Amino acid sequence: MSRSQPHHSPAPSRPHPPPSDAHRSLCANTSAIRSTVKHLRDQTVSLAKPRSRSTRMDPYDVEGGAINVRFLHADSVRAHFIIQNFNLETANALRRVMLAEIPTMAIDVVEVMDNTSVLADEFVCHRLGLIPLIAKGVEDLLYSRDCDCEGYCEQCAVVLTLNAKCTGRDIMKVFARDLVVSAGRPNEDVGNPVIVDPERQGSSIVKLRKGQAIHMRCIAKKGIAKEHAKWAPSAAIGFEYDPANKLHHLDYWYEDDPKEEWPVDHDRINLDGGAPTEDEAFNYDAVPSRFFFDVETVGGLDPDQIVAEGIKTLQRKLAGVIQQLQGGGDGADGADFGGAQSPTLNGGYGAAPDQGYTTPYGGNASVWGGANAAAGGTTPYGATPYGGGPSW
Amino acid sequence: MNAPDRWLRDGSATSWQPPIAQLIEDNPNARQRYRMRGNHLVRHSVYSNRNEEKIEVKEDTRVPSTTIFTFNKEDHTLGNLISQRLHKYPYILFSAYKVPHPLFAMFELRVTTDGSITPREAVTKCCADVVRDLDVLQQSFTTEWLGKRIVTEGEAERQARDQNPN
Repeated sequence: MSRSQPHHSPAPSRPHPPPSDAHRSLCANTSAIRSTVKHLRDQTVSLAKPRSRSTRMDPYDVEGGAINVRFLHADSVRAHFIIQNFNLETANALRRVMLAEIPTMAIDVVEVMDNTSVLADEFVCHRLGLIPLIAKGVEDLLYSRDCDCEGYCEQCAVVLTLNAKCTGRDIMKVFARDLVVSAGRPNEDVGNPVIVDPERQGSSIVKLRKGQAIHMRCIAKKGIAKEHAKWAPSAAIGFEYDPANKLHHLDYWYEDDPKEEWPVDHDRINLDGGAPTEDEAFNYDAVPSRFFFDVETVGGLDPDQIVAEGIKTLQRKLAGVIQQLQGGGDGADGADFGGAQSPTLNGGYGAAPDQGYTTPYGGNASVWGGANAAAGGTTPYGATPYGGGPSW
Repeated sequence: MNAPDRWLRDGSATSWQPPIAQLIEDNPNARQRYRMRGNHLVRHSVYSNRNEEKIEVKEDTRVPSTTIFTFNKEDHTLGNLISQRLHKYPYILFSAYKVPHPLFAMFELRVTTDGSITPREAVTKCCADVVRDLDVLQQSFTTEWLGKRIVTEGEAERQARDQNPN
């Protein structure tokens, strides 16, 4: 079933919040978030930052201490941004999730019908596995292992057929564009090969000489990079904090003088409050609060989608912890964080007596339900796994 | 029977560490890398086994207000996040995690509070706070991304116009 409903309006079966209250609860939610953040910040400040340092006017922090993002660069393959007033453990968790735990599509099983090319079957299959596929709308697909089918079906896989034969005198190259996607997918995006080059060819697979042929059925499945790197959504994620090394988290190796031998990134240092003065005493209480991210996509997801999905996946993981710890640990068959399990198999979390995620926080359903409507995707808690009834 | 009970089977209640040999015996991962769920191959080290608890909770009987949480099929992503975040709350006396063995996809989180709140509640609250922080981050990110994309596209358009006046 495709998701035709607008994401910001709650499904009719969900108890909270009623549609007319959506706006109000969003506002209430924002203030709840603010107070939580403020509360947390007060604690952090008392633990960590001496006032003399943090009261110095920071020209880059216009938000006055709330978590915020500044962009340095944004295009179709790259998102280069700074997260300010954040903390190291959450920034690092986000980085790790974006690297390894966002669901994407990749060819997982290949049926070889014919291969008379010079490359061995497994060689070609490996290359096929590494071809980036569009992952927009993977949430419409089930994980194959959670599907009731035998092997694979339309609910959990996309079939791409490769059938090429060289008949001419010239050497023929087979590209990702030659993969024919089967009909019956849940949406028109998932599983298409990523093609971004000006010639519209996509990744190169094999070369064929006259008379050679290749015929393969490739079954693309949903997965995460923790299982195999072919499911990684990001080509690379740059991550840095404290470029001037004021916190001494780095201990530079040197022959004579580290200042002479190591390059300095002046731009970043300027973005991070400037270089330390010569006689500046070491601040033992300082903690990193500004993080440079540089997310580059393989092509399956837009860079902003990688970040959005990363945040969502991490939130789901944490929601899974909350769910299990509050449920008294009886959820042996229900808790797989990060959405790595199909909720439809066990009736979904919505069937739990505590209505998923709404109760623990004083009935403030919007904390979990409505906050992310602007993100364009489903909210982590609004959609199936922890919210109301299943919506796909 | 959950794992910590078995670790104490020899009666030595003085150790909360699982013996490595026991870990190997317990973890099918040590014997085979995959298991079949129906016709589907499932990699042990990544995906949850429905027969095992995602989080096993064990009270430490020797130290008050102390709990050891064993997270199965989770790694440093969650371990570091929760244990470090907990340090920021005044009622936490101790919080740390460890991965007993790198080949087994699990970590143990040990949390001691001052008694005003149980470790279980502390972890729950900590997770909820992180989720809220991430909501703020998400909203800021979306706004800024849209803004930056508009600027970038405008610049590209202007450059294209400059190079090609007609």
